[in-house]
Amino acid sequence: MMTNNMNSLNGAMASNISRRQLLKTLGAGGAALAGGSMFRPMSALAAGDLAFWATGTLDVGDAWSRAADDAGLNVAFTDNGNDPGPAVARLVAGNANDLFDIGGLQGGAEKELAVQGAIVPWDMSKIPNYENVWQWAKDIPYLQHDGKQYGLPAVINADSIIYRPDKLGKVDSYGVIFDPKLKGQVAMEDAWINSAVFAAMYLKESENQKIGNPGNLTEDELGLVMEFLIKHKKDGQFRTFWSGWEQGVQLVGDGEVLAMTGWEPIVYEGRKRGLQVEYAAPVEGYEGWGNNLVLLKGAVDRGLGDDAHKFANWLLDGFYGCALGEQRGYVVPSDRNVAYAEANASQFDPAKVKALAEHVKAKFSGKVAWQNTRPDNFQLYEEWWQKLRNA
Amino acid sequence: MVAGFESRPLKAAIWLMTAIGLAIIYLPPLYLVAVSFNPALQPALPPLSDISLTWYFALAKERTLISALQESLLVATITALVATGLALLSALAYMDLGKWRSRWFMFVLLPMFVPGIIQGLSLSVIFGRIGLKPFWGTVAASHLLWALPFAFTVILTSMAAVRRSYLLAASDLGASWWRQLVDVTLPLIKPGLVAAFIFSFLLSLNEFGRAFYLVGRQNTLPLAMFGKMNSGASPTIYALSGSIFLASILAVSFVLLAAQAKDRKLHR
Amino acid sequence: MKSPGLLLALPTALIVLLLGFVPLIVILVWSFWTWDPATYWIRPEFSLAGYEAILEAGRWSVIVGSLGKAFLTAAICVVIGYPAAMAVHFLASRRTALLLMALFTIPFFTSYMIRAFSWRLVLGRNGLINGWLMDLGIVDQPLDWLLFSNFAVNVGLVASYLPFVIFPLILSMQRVEPSLLAASQDLGAGFWRTFRSVLLPLTQAGIFAGFLFVFVMAAGSATEVQMLGGAAASMISVMINDVMRVVNFPLAFAISTLVLIILFGLIFIGNRLFKLTSLFEGFTW
Repeated sequence: MMTNNMNSLNGAMASNISRRQLLKTLGAGGAALAGGSMFRPMSALAAGDLAFWATGTLDVGDAWSRAADDAGLNVAFTDNGNDPGPAVARLVAGNANDLFDIGGLQGGAEKELAVQGAIVPWDMSKIPNYENVWQWAKDIPYLQHDGKQYGLPAVINADSIIYRPDKLGKVDSYGVIFDPKLKGQVAMEDAWINSAVFAAMYLKESENQKIGNPGNLTEDELGLVMEFLIKHKKDGQFRTFWSGWEQGVQLVGDGEVLAMTGWEPIVYEGRKRGLQVEYAAPVEGYEGWGNNLVLLKGAVDRGLGDDAHKFANWLLDGFYGCALGEQRGYVVPSDRNVAYAEANASQFDPAKVKALAEHVKAKFSGKVAWQNTRPDNFQLYEEWWQKLRNA
Repeated sequence: MVAGFESRPLKAAIWLMTAIGLAIIYLPPLYLVAVSFNPALQPALPPLSDISLTWYFALAKERTLISALQESLLVATITALVATGLALLSALAYMDLGKWRSRWFMFVLLPMFVPGIIQGLSLSVIFGRIGLKPFWGTVAASHLLWALPFAFTVILTSMAAVRRSYLLAASDLGASWWRQLVDVTLPLIKPGLVAAFIFSFLLSLNEFGRAFYLVGRQNTLPLAMFGKMNSGASPTIYALSGSIFLASILAVSFVLLAAQAKDRKLHR
Repeated sequence: MKSPGLLLALPTALIVLLLGFVPLIVILVWSFWTWDPATYWIRPEFSLAGYEAILEAGRWSVIVGSLGKAFLTAAICVVIGYPAAMAVHFLASRRTALLLMALFTIPFFTSYMIRAFSWRLVLGRNGLINGWLMDLGIVDQPLDWLLFSNFAVNVGLVASYLPFVIFPLILSMQRVEPSLLAASQDLGAGFWRTFRSVLLPLTQAGIFAGFLFVFVMAAGSATEVQMLGGAAASMISVMINDVMRVVNFPLAFAISTLVLIILFGLIFIGNRLFKLTSLFEGFTW
């Protein structure tokens, strides 16, 4: 409490100074604005702050203070908007490296960011807790580049279909999304990184089309998949395409759609709101995804490399996994979560932590196609997506 | 009542269109204010018996949203002040520029046609080059560029109320350029200045694309809202909007009452 | 009484040059560079690929469609906003006028994202409007086209930008001398006659300014289309976002350059043909 007050006092003082400074500088003609480091934003003042820039789903709110107690790290969390594309743009062309130390991005862009020099490899000897990460999470195809580790799986899950069993009975195939009987009653996500994968999985597994890896389509496969989506769009199959959590929940919650591809926490939220919703276990399999920690080059330049490794190690240490599971139903792929809950049964219910872990593990025991924000033909994906939009 | 508007059907038609305009802009915020008093998670109109302040109490704990709101208010205030000041200077210059007026108008207007995200990204590239770290000021700089053409046009529109004859008369009475400005022009264009300030403030408060590329570690409110809506929002976002809505009603009522009191004093 | 004309223009000129034109150079130059798949980045090699790509995948149709939507939105806003401005300026007492102006401003302090989202709740299959229509027996089945349609997008856009047309109109009405309207009436002109021959010409500047504001903002909007449009509905800003998502900067910047040229070109031609800027010069000025 005391330190909090001190921080906000410091913040208030420093921001007053920076405001005065700004007026002075403007008065001097604005040319001296280059001394920009004077103007640090209010939230990022305390020395040794570690800035974590990630998807909002990774935020654990007040629980970040535990990183200070456990590892002496003051974590400042900033939401990057949950859209990996613009975040990558801000990393390679924009200013993200001046501001943030660690990124949390949907996996796939690691290679590109590494080639660009926006991120640097992790020194795995400084992250002992990586030992306990589940092997299949370590095997996510794009964590490494040039034999070095660029991405650490912080959160993983597998997605399928959210549906209304009271209207549809049991659903066990993506075919429901393309069923003409449900015209105008289904939706997909307004993002090719997910929707193209779902359609490809359906075509591969249930319509026996020649498709290799649904997460990384060749030019021909992509054409096939997208023509399929375009045809259904033209037929009026989709009520709309959704983007973002609140829109997805609203579509199901307000009865706009009976089935849609989407994220499992939407099901939990729907149930909390008293709706009868289920998450399908499709015969075609799930779309797996990892939200991975990347080490920004700027952190190392600022001398925060060691702190960043300490942070990554702390994240995989168990407490964070328990807190995130409790707050949002997402899973850190490590056995240490259960170990932590068992050792701290007054804080977290070990049975619940274990059940969540087993639930996710079970999803990954069958067929899984990995989501990939940067398939080899990613420029073509974008071009096809425009064709879909304008069909 | 002004001559020409006496006909009843005409008046009815005008008021009807006004009512339609108000209905369109009030339906969404009023609906969400009602939703914000619903203790249920599912956004819907609450039954009267269920009305509760649950989400308003929860709001106090939403530090992310509150600090984003503070950041946005700071940026919007600075943007509005600077934009209104610069727009006033630009409009005064416009009056003096003679045959260059048209070109000057186009010049000031040009930045508003650049798509927001692209302006944000290219500015962030330039700021990066000169070593300026992103903070609230870089966001305000881009918002200034966005708001200035609006503020400028609004003030120009209101300049029509200033007749050359007024200024000539003042000049004949020996008023300097400065006195003409303060005693004649400014009082006449005051509504334009107020409108320019409000426009700039609102444009900044709701701006997303430019801010995305130029914020420091502290997100502005639209960015924070976007993040919340994308990754598991709770109804506190409606409570925040509801609070802002109610606060603006209070602020506006206060200003109106104050104006009325001043009126009464003047007329006594 | 020499006024410091050029000096007054200096601060704005500097700001617009530094913050507006310098980045424009970045935009222009990058739009002619080459995207290199090997480095995932752009090479300083001249290429027209960005501009060529606009002709593919229906991208140009998004630009045309967005401008169409923006034009329609601006026109609707003027049609609703003009009477509203007349109510404020000519009909209302001073106190009511202030109240009305306040009423037209208040909703815009709340988040535009939440406002757009709330249309989904109002216009949806089980939303407020369909509920009313069914309760009143006007329809038996909920109307599907109220939401996720061009109709919904237009409603959302009008609701988002209406006050930006009303205020310039009110300001422009301040130059209409009540004596002029009275004179016109004394000469036997009815309302429509007076409207066309006195009111409309005198408020052209306000109409132009308001239309321009709404047009530009609607053309640059994305949220309303994404939240209220049908499956994968597009708009210029949505398309630019899609392109930025795959860091194809030459294409994103080529689209921006083209949009800038089209919008600025429209204003430029409009200015040549209709002397738009002279609208801002008082008739006695």
